[in-house]
Amino acid sequence: MPSQRLMATTFISLGLSFSLTLGSVANARAYEPPRTADGKVDFSGVWQVLNTANNNLEPQGGRAAQMMREGPAGPVPVSELVALGAAGAVPASLGVVEGGLIPYKDEALAQRDENAKNWITQDPEVRCYLPGIPRATYMPHPFQIIQNEGVLFFNYAYAGAVRNVALSDPGPAPIDSWMGESWARWEDDTLIVTTTGQHDQSWFDRAGNYHSDMMTVVERFTRTSDHTIDYMATMTDEQVFTRPWTIRMPLYKRIGSDAQMLKFDCVEYVEELIYGHLRKEPLD
Amino acid sequence: MKIRYALLTCLCLATSMQTSGFETPRMAWGHPNLQGIWTNATVTTLVRPEEVEQLVLNEAEAAAMEKGGAEAIAAIDDLPEGDLEAGEDVGGYNAFWVDPGTRVLRVNGEARSSIIVDPEDGQIPYTLLTRPKYYWRAYNMLNTYDNPEERPLGERCTVGFGSTGGPPMLPVLYNNNYQFIQTPDQVLILVEMNHSVRNIRLDAEPLPEVIRPWMGDSIGHWEGDTLVVRTTQFHPQQDLRLAIKHQVMMSKDSVVEERFTRVSESEINYVFTITDENLYSQPWIGEQTLRSTQGPIYEYACHEGNYALPNILSGARQEEES
Repeated sequence: MPSQRLMATTFISLGLSFSLTLGSVANARAYEPPRTADGKVDFSGVWQVLNTANNNLEPQGGRAAQMMREGPAGPVPVSELVALGAAGAVPASLGVVEGGLIPYKDEALAQRDENAKNWITQDPEVRCYLPGIPRATYMPHPFQIIQNEGVLFFNYAYAGAVRNVALSDPGPAPIDSWMGESWARWEDDTLIVTTTGQHDQSWFDRAGNYHSDMMTVVERFTRTSDHTIDYMATMTDEQVFTRPWTIRMPLYKRIGSDAQMLKFDCVEYVEELIYGHLRKEPLD
Repeated sequence: MKIRYALLTCLCLATSMQTSGFETPRMAWGHPNLQGIWTNATVTTLVRPEEVEQLVLNEAEAAAMEKGGAEAIAAIDDLPEGDLEAGEDVGGYNAFWVDPGTRVLRVNGEARSSIIVDPEDGQIPYTLLTRPKYYWRAYNMLNTYDNPEERPLGERCTVGFGSTGGPPMLPVLYNNNYQFIQTPDQVLILVEMNHSVRNIRLDAEPLPEVIRPWMGDSIGHWEGDTLVVRTTQFHPQQDLRLAIKHQVMMSKDSVVEERFTRVSESEINYVFTITDENLYSQPWIGEQTLRSTQGPIYEYACHEGNYALPNILSGARQEEES
């Protein structure tokens, strides 16, 4: 009897998942997104990822801390992170790079590994520096897109970052900056944002993945439901990578009482880290 | 009575300016359209200069004030020949780097000697007890180098200099640009300095009292075509706002009401009232004109390149050792 019940359950769930799959395909095709007054798909809202891409864009196993050292019987957290315990542990993650790994040139891969070894002193996030693109999208903090006639504005919680997206190609950026220069165009209902003019100081994640100041990022935003965006970003940077590569992940809309954003103004939170040793009487 | 009269005057001015054939542009959902990039750069200061009695300047006085402003900026580059002695003040900037405005503030065409319109003397109405406290606090902030938290906010890159992000939003030495962005539920103001964003929530409930963001908690509503914003719950460290162009002491309990009215294609009338009975003998009112200006606003990354604060602190440590 139990085996019959199991079979029946399996059969039902298979059928259910089959119909769910069919249903989502049909829904994706039939989905009619909201539009702004000028007929463009409306991406307005507060969005956030539900993944750990900010830990590492590539797949990674779980570990006790972001930065480890050799212990007497296997790796242990670096001393700065021991006190955090499970709160500082890093869960396993599947990665978001299409094809699995970032196609680094050999010497660039060595630099990435060096970055990872020095994460705690080198990652701009630790010092509350602006995140750059695409990292701003998948930080573990929300961001708001404001879109109306004449404006496409990204307001990020993390570090008070902002991105004002031009609605036509402004030409080369007058100067490199942390968030670069972005401009938008449309392919049918997909919003395409091209970003150049970023300098080389931002990283992709806490794993030390990085780029040069020659990088072009092309992001593709496609609404797949009232509450999701299919987000892709393709990075081209011949100084660091052997070919263009793409990350892909869903963005989720925050709804109800979650659909508002408080800024994460972290500058004041890192004063002890950055300036503590310069106090008249440094603390312990 | 005086306050009410001044406020009424401002409102009437705004209204009369609106009725002069200008039709307020609107967002798709009907709210007046304030979107765009605006500047409040001006030679006119927050408080009235001692030598000036009247709020309204005649054209000769206005021209003289503008000439004085230009000369003051040019004088920045007027350093003595040769090397300075060690320890001499080299000043903060060359004139090239500042952009404080070249014109006096004009409201409805009228040249103004101060942003403050009430009290009538154009001064901040600190109470007798508050005024010495203000001087003491300002002296200490400028002369204490023991800890980063004791330095002015602009040096720490937590917000821009003085009250550039406000509220009230006051002109400073450079980067006096603001971008207004609207949704049916919000008005966002991107303050160029420190890329601070004021998130004005329309017809919303206040944040829980334990949350005290930089630039406070702003809640707005539309009164006719005027955006009215009330800000409370200031960050406790945003009490003393020191800039070269203005110095204001407020408190975490100050209340700021702002009124934004688009009066022409290129101007927003901006009136603010500050109330704090622990500091001031009366609420005080300022009035500015936000003028449309060319964009875009480029990135103002302050914290990322902040060499000033560590150098100021380490300079003090060096001095103690010598």
